[in-house]
Amino acid sequence: MTIRPLDLPEGLLLQILFWATLALIGLVSALVLFGALLQARRDRQNRHRIACFRDWEARLAVHLFGEGPGRHPFGEVPRRDRWLFRSFLARYQATLAGREALLLRELYLGLGVHTSLPRRLRSRQPRTRARAAQEIGAFRLGGYLGLLPPLLHDPVPYVAHAAAQALTRSRDLAYAGPVMDWAIHEDTYQRERLLRVLEGFGPELLPWMEAHLPLPEADPGPWVLFALLAGSQRHRESQPRLLDLLGIPNLDLQASTLKALAALADPTLYDRVRPLAFHEAWEIRAQAARALGVLGGPGAVPDLIQLTADRVFEVRRNAAQGLADLGHAGAAALGWLAEDPGADPFARDMARERLEWADERGHQ
Amino acid sequence: MTRSWPEHTRVLVVEDDFPTARLIQARLEMEGLEVLPAGNGVEALDRLQREEVDLITTDLMMPAMNGFRLVQEVRDLPPPKGRIPILLISSNQNEQDMVRCLAAGADDYMTKPISAQVLVERLWRLFERSRRGG
Repeated sequence: MTIRPLDLPEGLLLQILFWATLALIGLVSALVLFGALLQARRDRQNRHRIACFRDWEARLAVHLFGEGPGRHPFGEVPRRDRWLFRSFLARYQATLAGREALLLRELYLGLGVHTSLPRRLRSRQPRTRARAAQEIGAFRLGGYLGLLPPLLHDPVPYVAHAAAQALTRSRDLAYAGPVMDWAIHEDTYQRERLLRVLEGFGPELLPWMEAHLPLPEADPGPWVLFALLAGSQRHRESQPRLLDLLGIPNLDLQASTLKALAALADPTLYDRVRPLAFHEAWEIRAQAARALGVLGGPGAVPDLIQLTADRVFEVRRNAAQGLADLGHAGAAALGWLAEDPGADPFARDMARERLEWADERGHQ
Repeated sequence: MTRSWPEHTRVLVVEDDFPTARLIQARLEMEGLEVLPAGNGVEALDRLQREEVDLITTDLMMPAMNGFRLVQEVRDLPPPKGRIPILLISSNQNEQDMVRCLAAGADDYMTKPISAQVLVERLWRLFERSRRGG
């Protein structure tokens, strides 16, 4: 089959090609011009932002740290630059505490932008919602806290996280219930992040959890967080409850509880922890090995040596660390293991690795 | 509390967050200290080799070389540079990190948010202690 060219007079075809080319050139030029104008506008905004930030940085330093009698007012911020000033202040939210944080809060409130928070919390833009939640937390705007719990169900995870963080920073346990519900439904791999958020409530959260969480036998999940928080906050008052939790046959809960007991470092608990060093689940053996090193004395050395030959790497590693934590007796045992050709090869390798690690850092 | 810093006391401020660095610098300069800024551990080591420094304050999480590594590198230097007091500042409240940094040779540790007043007071204590040879 042959394709025939359009049956048009030659002159007309040339004219069409000419005008089509011209139109294309015009279109491309318009696009280039539009792009250049956009870029120029952006450059102008950036220059303005940099100039404002430089000016405000100098004024902020005098406002916060200025010496001499009386206060050092920050000065006026033009109405059109207030949105910029809000992001300027936001840069210091996570940095400053004490008197400076209070002065920043005053500056923020002086802008009057907090009145738009309810609207911004409902914005279609997730970034706007998250930033509004962060402002409530950072500038301690207690009056707006009640607007945050619905955001814990936000489909965008970082918005929910920002809301939870703002609520915990308030330290108001009236919001502990919704935040705890949010935390329980988050993925397990996020646990460290969740703990950092929950720590915002302070140690008062632990008695609250004891009073409000469902029974651990029925729902051990939230109690895992309880155990980890008790450990990270060294909350001795939670120790009796932790001992109860140790008896609940749930792998995650028992391992987390052992971790917490090791953090509390009460040597009188050694006999309670010791049997778990030979539990069938490696997760529990691994945490027990770490705990024995903290809670035990020289008497823990034989058990820990046995655990350095465990079939699971994590148990061997924690047992070697446990020996190192015991001090002289443990260090001597590690040295003996590393040198003994008759020792279990797993145990010997782990002891050598631990000693090399300590040697590199110049300590045991 | 009055602090009488000797003239030309120099603080190396290692911080990758520019606004924070500028604010710390402003506060320390108001205190009469000379501030040498550095954006990461590598820059800090470079400045440390070229200039005299009395105190170091460093962030923990930084690109190129983090605060933990910087502490180790400084402590490996021969005295007197290897003995410069180091104050670590971090937004991370992870206990393991704190222990690691102190074990590596940091003299003190602060977590963000920080009060500038507390920062100055801690630097003063470190400076006093090092001056007394402690």
